[in-house]
Amino acid sequence: MSETILELSNVSKTFAGKPAVRDVSFGVQRGRITGFLGPNGAGKTTSLRMSLGILTPDSGSVSLFGGRPRPAALDRVGFLPEERGIYRKMKVIDVITFFARLKGVGAAEARKRGLEMLEEFDLPDVAESKVKTLSKGMAQKVQIISTLVHEPEFIILDEPFSGLDPVNQNALEQIVRRQAEAGRTVLFSTHVMEHAERLCDQIELVAKGRKVFDGSVKDALGEVPRRVTVEVASDHDLRPILTGMGQVAREAPVDGHAVWTIDLASGTDAQDVLKACVDGGVKLARFEPVRAHLHDAFVHLVGASATAPAETETV
Amino acid sequence: MRAIYLIARREFLSYVATWGFWLSLASVPMFMALGIGMPILIENSQPTRYYVLVDETGGTLEAAIEAQAEASRAEALERTREMARDMFGSNPQIEAALASQPQLSDERYIRVDAGSTDLDALRPYLTGGASIQTADGESGLFAAIYLRQSPSGAIEMDYWSANVSDSGLRSQIRNSLRDHMQTQYLIDNGVDPQLIETADDLSPAVRELNPERTGDTAEVTAAERIPLVVSAMTAFGLWVIIFSVVNMLLTAMIEEKGNKVLEMMLASTRHHEILTGKLAGVAAVSATLLLVWGGMAILGTLGVQQVAASADLPIADILAAVLDPGLLLPALGYFIIGYLMYGAVFLAIGSLCETLQDAQTLMSPMMLIMMMPLFLVMMAIDSPDSPIVAIASWVPLWTPFIMLARLPQDVGMFDIVGTTAAMIGTAVFVIWGSGVLFRMGALNQANQDTVKGWFSFGSKKTPAES
Repeated sequence: MSETILELSNVSKTFAGKPAVRDVSFGVQRGRITGFLGPNGAGKTTSLRMSLGILTPDSGSVSLFGGRPRPAALDRVGFLPEERGIYRKMKVIDVITFFARLKGVGAAEARKRGLEMLEEFDLPDVAESKVKTLSKGMAQKVQIISTLVHEPEFIILDEPFSGLDPVNQNALEQIVRRQAEAGRTVLFSTHVMEHAERLCDQIELVAKGRKVFDGSVKDALGEVPRRVTVEVASDHDLRPILTGMGQVAREAPVDGHAVWTIDLASGTDAQDVLKACVDGGVKLARFEPVRAHLHDAFVHLVGASATAPAETETV
Repeated sequence: MRAIYLIARREFLSYVATWGFWLSLASVPMFMALGIGMPILIENSQPTRYYVLVDETGGTLEAAIEAQAEASRAEALERTREMARDMFGSNPQIEAALASQPQLSDERYIRVDAGSTDLDALRPYLTGGASIQTADGESGLFAAIYLRQSPSGAIEMDYWSANVSDSGLRSQIRNSLRDHMQTQYLIDNGVDPQLIETADDLSPAVRELNPERTGDTAEVTAAERIPLVVSAMTAFGLWVIIFSVVNMLLTAMIEEKGNKVLEMMLASTRHHEILTGKLAGVAAVSATLLLVWGGMAILGTLGVQQVAASADLPIADILAAVLDPGLLLPALGYFIIGYLMYGAVFLAIGSLCETLQDAQTLMSPMMLIMMMPLFLVMMAIDSPDSPIVAIASWVPLWTPFIMLARLPQDVGMFDIVGTTAAMIGTAVFVIWGSGVLFRMGALNQANQDTVKGWFSFGSKKTPAES
């Protein structure tokens, strides 16, 4: 059984009478990429802050590397906050060295690693430049380097993809994968399900401060009813033909053809629907089993209302 | 400790690397030089004023004015001699130097002959339409003064001048005439002129004595008065330094919040370490300033004192009084506690604000609190026993400045120990409270509205977080 690096047990936190996190429990296993998913205002940032001991839970407990999140444990963590910024008047290499040294890396080693990582991130010429002279994308890379330069065992990224253009989002996905391949544990929060679907071994879904799902991406997708879309060129009503196979609904016609959607009942698969249509003499113009996405799973699990921003904003 | 050191080091280097720091470092010696040189410069740059004096009495008043001016010059010379004796003893070389400079009063006003005593003829010279030839080149007339005596004996002066702001010459002539009139009145009423002269010279011999001492040692010397001046100056200096460096903390904190660095820092260290590191970093900046400025001042004073002591000059005692550790060490202690109190408050204010404009609202009451000691120190110089000063020195935020000014005076041990204890207790409380505020402000759980809410009777606003 793999080691649990971070464990939140029945954690709650309230601000000015408004609950931000309610009785949340989950664990992050060593060597895995875990996605912490939920809409804006779901309590992700507060949960991550409690994980690092930046905030103290009102109730429940947090265990990081088997103990309370003390400075020694924090040295093994790399954290990229949602609100990102670095010292604009400092030189790039000095910023990286400063954060590495805060994590216990020696000055010479920190500088050496910083220069190596600047090379790796295609920023070899900016080491002696002031941060304020960099473009936004370059500055974000410098901040990611500052998060990773001390070679943390556990990397926590709070909404790492927000504010990045598609090219840099893709680059960051590669970085996360490389870190995971190097044996590091990654926990990242996001409200964009596509990233999580591509990267995560494990996901935690939260909405309005509560956990609504905990499991693998495959398990989450399994929660979504499988759907088949059928376009019919004949005048058949599919409801009597597909009785007992799931929920059948008629949609708006396309190119003069009737369109039906079937949310498959448990134990029924697409082949059963196809066979019933053929046996019923239905003239098919299109037969399409629809692949579910994590977004569908999320909407299914928490309801469409939960995807709307909550009353309180993430800070 | 590692985090505190690294944060302090970063803070220190971020200031030392700026032009502003080096300008600050150079500013005090520069302003000291200016402070010394400026009065001399102002004195030397004063234009020479040329005037015409017309004595319509036939010379009586003119002679009286000249005699009075001579007496003033002699008096100024004697005062300078006395001061020199106080500082350097009976030094024959200095006495000789002073004797060779008999005219110590200024020569700003010089009487000239413009070729006419008629006002209409002089008017162009007074209004810039004509000029006279002087040793400095061509110049207009500053004033034309007409003196006359009425049949009843009253003296009248008509003072013609286009310059209404410089009243020095008018006052000088009027005072001379007044003395002359008073003397003349006494003579007219039968008083012997010799007697009047003797009466004018009468002056009590005043000795200031300390009742705690007896015999020859009882007399109060200049060296004993120096600590009063030095302590007041140190109190003002302390105020300036604390005010300067806590403003550095405020702006640095706001900048850091604006750069959104704090949360990343908090993932590596804790609130109290950030607070302590920042305080220590800026303290190191101010210690550098103090070391350079104070070091220059102390070394310079010490050097002169040593030379004076080897020559057995009385000024050595005065300079030794300036370097009294009994004053310098408490000043250091008051600086440290004062800095911690104000520094922690300003850091907390910075953590609650996103911009300097936000900070203005919270700064206003702090500015008023900080301004008060300036007035109270001035009051303490003149009236050290004032109940207001005594009570104000118990206000912990003012204690460092007012007690420093009061120390050379006979302050009771109860006051010293009591105010120090209250100040240290307050410093601990302020640092703790600022830590709490800093913790809330750093993560936007509190802002300036939160603080305003504490002082209002309505509901308080606390930013929510999710």
